[in-house]
Amino acid sequence: MTTAKLRPRSPDVQIYKPQLTSVLSIVHRMTGVFLSLGSVLLVAWLVAVVDGGDTYAMVERWLRSWIGLLLLLGWTFALFYHLCNGIRHLAWDLDFGFELRSIYLSGWTVVAASMILTVLTWTLGLAVLE
Amino acid sequence: MLIKSSKQVSRWRTPKRFPVSRNSGASPASRIEPGVSWPEPEGATRVQRFKVYRHDPESGKNPRIDTYAIDRDKCGPMLLDALIKIKNEIDPTLTFRRSCREGVCGSCAMNIDGTNWLACIRSLDEISEPSTVYPLNNMDVIKDLVGDQTHVLAQYQSITPWLRSKTPAPAGHERLQSPEERKRLDGDYECILCFCCTAGCPSHWWNGDRFLGPAILLQAHRWLVDSRDEATGERLDELEDPFKLYRCHTILNCTRTCPKGLNPGKKIAEIKLMIQQRRS
Ligand code: SF4
Ligand code: SF4
Ligand code: FES
Repeated sequence: MTTAKLRPRSPDVQIYKPQLTSVLSIVHRMTGVFLSLGSVLLVAWLVAVVDGGDTYAMVERWLRSWIGLLLLLGWTFALFYHLCNGIRHLAWDLDFGFELRSIYLSGWTVVAASMILTVLTWTLGLAVLE
Repeated sequence: MLIKSSKQVSRWRTPKRFPVSRNSGASPASRIEPGVSWPEPEGATRVQRFKVYRHDPESGKNPRIDTYAIDRDKCGPMLLDALIKIKNEIDPTLTFRRSCREGVCGSCAMNIDGTNWLACIRSLDEISEPSTVYPLNNMDVIKDLVGDQTHVLAQYQSITPWLRSKTPAPAGHERLQSPEERKRLDGDYECILCFCCTAGCPSHWWNGDRFLGPAILLQAHRWLVDSRDEATGERLDELEDPFKLYRCHTILNCTRTCPKGLNPGKKIAEIKLMIQQRRS
């Protein structure tokens, strides 16, 4: 059966059309990874708080730079997205919301909710900081 | 956009693919090369083009994408009609499976414009121009659009898709079911094993050697809920495995694509729930 060995494998991810189902699932994973990186930063920030003085000032300065702010914005969105989509997954685990219509409705709701929550958090946060 | 049934073709034609190159991760023999463009029909007002995956095992060459064009005014309504027309009139070497031409045999499952569906019930009005036609994903290609189903069928066999019962069959009549018991098979028995779902499941792409995939798990569910089957416990034992069942991450590409409108994703969740519930 040498011919069987030479058989090409048909393409999958290279040609499959991105759909809400698969895209939200990938984003869920990516935000998960991103959030675990963020927890390292949270620990660093706490250490800086304990250390106080110069260390804290340095971390604070870095966080307020544009790259720091951008990362924080990313983490806020990742947190809310992962939270909302996590609830969606919990509902599925209990056998709720499996009709295609519900899958799409809950999917778009998660996208909208995480964006709104991110914007709200930042508006509030910036208002407090002013 | 809001999808209400797997019949619906998304109006959003872009993005067509994930941002990975067409040959990324492909083994040397699987790399797709440019193919030939066949002559266009003369005097046609409605031309439909198809970019079709071709592989000739006897050529020793790599797969390629050939482009065909047909005159819509001289063709039947479905994609399968167009493929038959191409085979009859343009290129007799084009190879694909088909039988019933009405969506009940599952032979003509293929990847059409990036998602899996049956060619015989996909209207030419619903495809893009040019349209792309590939074999079902992640299968060893025997020829052109014909994938080798040995592996998925072996997975099917592994779930013992037959009645397991110690009680001898009653004399003189079948094993009876109440209408309610029979109703529990709805949504399972309609599966035509076309493998659109399994071929479209990212978990099966990455772990298909050990993950059973949506089609087979839906079949497993069919035997779990059958009132006549007496091996429910053993069946659950056999499925309780980090790979066979739990590689399903509820991505739901399966439910989105099933041409029979079934819901493999839901059935898998029900199996997971059955395993949870018998623990408590
Ligand atoms: S569940 Fe649907 S897509 Fe999957 S094999 Fe059965 S009929 Fe085909
Ligand atoms: S829900 Fe499970 S079986 Fe269906 S596509 Fe997703 S991972 Fe595959
Ligand atoms: S030919 Fe039977 S399902 Fe398409």
